[in-house]
Amino acid sequence: MNAASQRTAFLALFSHYRRHPGQLAMLLVGLWVASALWSGVQAINASARDSYARAEALFSTGLDRIERRDGLPLTLDDYLSLRLAGAPVSPLVTGELELAGGSRLEVMGIDPLTLPEGSGFRTAGGTATLADFLQPPYRTRLAPDTLASLTEEDDTLPPLADGRQLPPLELAPELPPGVAVMDIAAALELLERDDLSRLLVAPEARLDLPQPLVRSAAENLAAPGQLTDSFHLNLTAMALLALVVGLLIVHAALSLTLEQRLGLMRTLRALGVSGRALVSLLLGELLMLGVLGAALGILSGVWLAQWLLPDVAASLQALYGERVGSELALPWHYWLGGLAVTLGGLLTAGLGTLWRAARLDVLGLGRAQAWRGQFLRQLRGMALAGGLLWLIAGGLLAWLERQPPAEGLTPGFVMIAAGLLGSALWLPPLLAMLLAALARLLRRRPLAQWALADLQLQLPRLSVAMMALLLALSANLGVGSMVGGFRLTFLEWLDQRLVADLYLRPPPARYEAAVDWLEARDEVATLLPRARAEATLLGSASSQRQPRPVNVYGVTPHPALTEHWPLLASQEDDASAWQAFARGAAMINEQLALATGLAPGQWLRLSSPTGPMELPIAAIYPDYGNPRGEVMLTAPHLSERFQTAPDSIGIVLDRQVAPGAIAALRRDLSQTLGIGGDSLIDQREIQRRSTEIFERTFAITRALNTLTLGVAGLALLSSLLAQTGQRRSQLAPLWALGVSRGPLVGASIAQLGGAALVTAALAVPLGLALTWCLVAVINVAAFGWRLPLHVFPGQIAATLGLAVGVALLAALLPAWRLWRTSPRTLLTEFDAL
Amino acid sequence: MLELRHISKSYPTPQGPLCVLQGVDLRLAVGESLALMGESGSGKSTLLHLAAGLDTPDDGEVRLDGRPLSALDEPTRARLRRERLGLVFQQYHLVPSLNVADNLRLQARLAGREDAAWSRELLERLGLASMAGRYPEQLSGGQQQRLAIGRALATRPALLLADEPTGNLDETSADEVLTLLLELVGDSGCALLMVTHSPRVAAPLDRCLRLSHGRIAEASP
Repeated sequence: MNAASQRTAFLALFSHYRRHPGQLAMLLVGLWVASALWSGVQAINASARDSYARAEALFSTGLDRIERRDGLPLTLDDYLSLRLAGAPVSPLVTGELELAGGSRLEVMGIDPLTLPEGSGFRTAGGTATLADFLQPPYRTRLAPDTLASLTEEDDTLPPLADGRQLPPLELAPELPPGVAVMDIAAALELLERDDLSRLLVAPEARLDLPQPLVRSAAENLAAPGQLTDSFHLNLTAMALLALVVGLLIVHAALSLTLEQRLGLMRTLRALGVSGRALVSLLLGELLMLGVLGAALGILSGVWLAQWLLPDVAASLQALYGERVGSELALPWHYWLGGLAVTLGGLLTAGLGTLWRAARLDVLGLGRAQAWRGQFLRQLRGMALAGGLLWLIAGGLLAWLERQPPAEGLTPGFVMIAAGLLGSALWLPPLLAMLLAALARLLRRRPLAQWALADLQLQLPRLSVAMMALLLALSANLGVGSMVGGFRLTFLEWLDQRLVADLYLRPPPARYEAAVDWLEARDEVATLLPRARAEATLLGSASSQRQPRPVNVYGVTPHPALTEHWPLLASQEDDASAWQAFARGAAMINEQLALATGLAPGQWLRLSSPTGPMELPIAAIYPDYGNPRGEVMLTAPHLSERFQTAPDSIGIVLDRQVAPGAIAALRRDLSQTLGIGGDSLIDQREIQRRSTEIFERTFAITRALNTLTLGVAGLALLSSLLAQTGQRRSQLAPLWALGVSRGPLVGASIAQLGGAALVTAALAVPLGLALTWCLVAVINVAAFGWRLPLHVFPGQIAATLGLAVGVALLAALLPAWRLWRTSPRTLLTEFDAL
Repeated sequence: MLELRHISKSYPTPQGPLCVLQGVDLRLAVGESLALMGESGSGKSTLLHLAAGLDTPDDGEVRLDGRPLSALDEPTRARLRRERLGLVFQQYHLVPSLNVADNLRLQARLAGREDAAWSRELLERLGLASMAGRYPEQLSGGQQQRLAIGRALATRPALLLADEPTGNLDETSADEVLTLLLELVGDSGCALLMVTHSPRVAAPLDRCLRLSHGRIAEASP
């Protein structure tokens, strides 16, 4: 075939869409939404990874940190005495500056001369010489995107809020967003400080530190991006779900267009177009539509990412302390990747269509397919493939159960994907079985029998949209229950853990005075001192383990605390566990228990400044949000063995206390002991901040979840609209037999509403199974702890209502069109058959 | 039984109204059979649609059992169709998802007047009893049309309206279907109005009308 013939054949094939623009729209909408959500999330991930890479280049060069045990800043004297003792430490000061216009900039002051060789601080430089950097007027090094977020004008730094100027600008693209690096002298002057945040030292340097100082090994400090992997994997999984749902629409549209073009293809074959040429033309058409859909999708994805990025950035900073630029940084492979994923997905969705077109011979091509036999074969195939996917999911679950905690996140998501897809593939066979059974049951009610039989007829075309709806609903329910359960557990746990009304963190020198002063106050009912230390878990009494760093936490086992503190496991009961704890036993957090297999009744060996100590384990407690293992002792026990004084005091107020008592206490504390108001933390303030962080974290998940559900609704709507013409021709004979339009419209709506209700009813157990997978498998794989499973009946009812609502909304337009169809149009349909 | 008085009907087209029927009068008595012949576009099918209450005339009146159809609302016309009329179409219009037995009983059940013995007899006489569990796609064209006739007669209608019932069949099948149709119509005592373009099909009927350009051009006998 020459080019002109191919063009003619292509135009003839494509002319189908001129008669059926709804199908073209459905195809493009499917590609567009699938590509948009996927590209949007990938744009967010790409930008975040760029930020992490820059942060990692700066921070993760293997430098150990030296800080004060009590968390207070280091003095210049601390630094100088270490240097005089020959310790190769380098000072670092960090702080925030407010700029004119209200934006904030994180400033890092460094001393390049004392920094170890190869440090990212040292190498992240601009074009200025070291002398320029070290001498007045100094230099401000920051990344171009940081500059762009601070000012609308090019190359000019805004002044500080108080009118002072930053040192001259020097662009350093390798620096992370939101950070300015300058000489420590300039930073101290701008921050108006005379102390240091921490000291840095090369890991190989051996130091003897004075008691108030503690060294954190670089290997124990998580690299930027490492902590956030699960967050991005979560986003990617949601985007993948949206991609699958979108591609299901594409698959439905392609199947419909193929079916309706069989006659046309037969004609083309009869006119001399070879089978291979026909497949090539269809492939060309797919590619053309794919490029158009991908372009639309990627552009929308970038817009979506720009919309979501500020919330993502805020979540990442609040959760992990990671700074992510608020401007998109998209590498070239992002654009290519988006196009490749969309085209790959389209070809996967269209493979069946191409295969069928290639296999059908010229005589059989246009013959109406025997839908029943074909559909039954299709149902058997679906059930088989669904069963296989379930086997894969089951196998992965069995394998994951044997993995240590905080491992197997990706296989966990593969397991969920296999389970969800397997269930979706089982939906059409289940619906078909249910319809057949109902049709038998309602044999005596002709309109109901017809409606059920007709729904069976529609099932091949509707099943893909229903599968999309099932996936979206179960994901909505599963993720919603997980988020709701997380929220409930987390806030309840926070409430229980923060039993004291106030927390005071006085300077160590004034700790005793603060305790005496508080004990004398009438409004104070109980004081709960707390202490902290770091230690190494050496193993259990019966076995040696790989030493592992753990936090040691000291609490006061007062009934005010123990009555509310939840325990996950204890040897006998909670009361006995707390009694054992008060006598000197330890409790461990869930993370440590899962990671080491330690259990109540066993003994653990712990390093301490007074030598290794062996402790019986009284109980395991939940410790949500903490990535590390923790051992809990009584505060006096900890202070004695770790030779460290309590660092904070929980203050339980008298129940009868007046509303203004907290403000009065804060004021008196400041006036009497000179302890600043910042040292006194109100529990409600902590809860407010925690809730705020929580809500922002899940804002993205909720947004993507809602968008996915919207896509599924769109799939259903576009499937129905694409079939409207065909539906009229199926309804017209029944109308002619004496069923008026009212009952016909009612039956059509009931058909879809019923199918959606059944789909939603199936989505409920699937959604609950998904919630279980998320809280008991994914959470353990991501964070090392599991959440209790919460079921929200209200949410289930809302999901059922939502499904039926979406289906009815999708059915309403075609039904309205049928209602408005004049007898003349119905007759036209009728005559056309 | 059926009376059409001065019926006129036109349809809007981009070139202006297209007059399909002009002042047509027609009467059909109980038990009588009438063939309506004419060229394509002569208005045969439109006249059949008006007689079935599927459409309304611009002018004139259609009366069934003495009741003017245009005075009835759509649900009442629908009830009249399912209870008093039987319709047979050239394209059969069977429900593909219902088996032979259920298709045959469909209209009778919709009308709430299923007669199981009559349905079984129809299946026997139409030669479909052995394939009651099959689906329409598994039948030949002749078998599908016989099933459509059975569906129309299962309600024991007063009037059977047939639009080219043999138009899609080969000669042998057409003869077979026509014989069965006339035999069953005769036994059930219902009136028959059949649209056809074939004189051979029209010949056994009591009367024949020929339509030309929307008017009755010829009547016989």
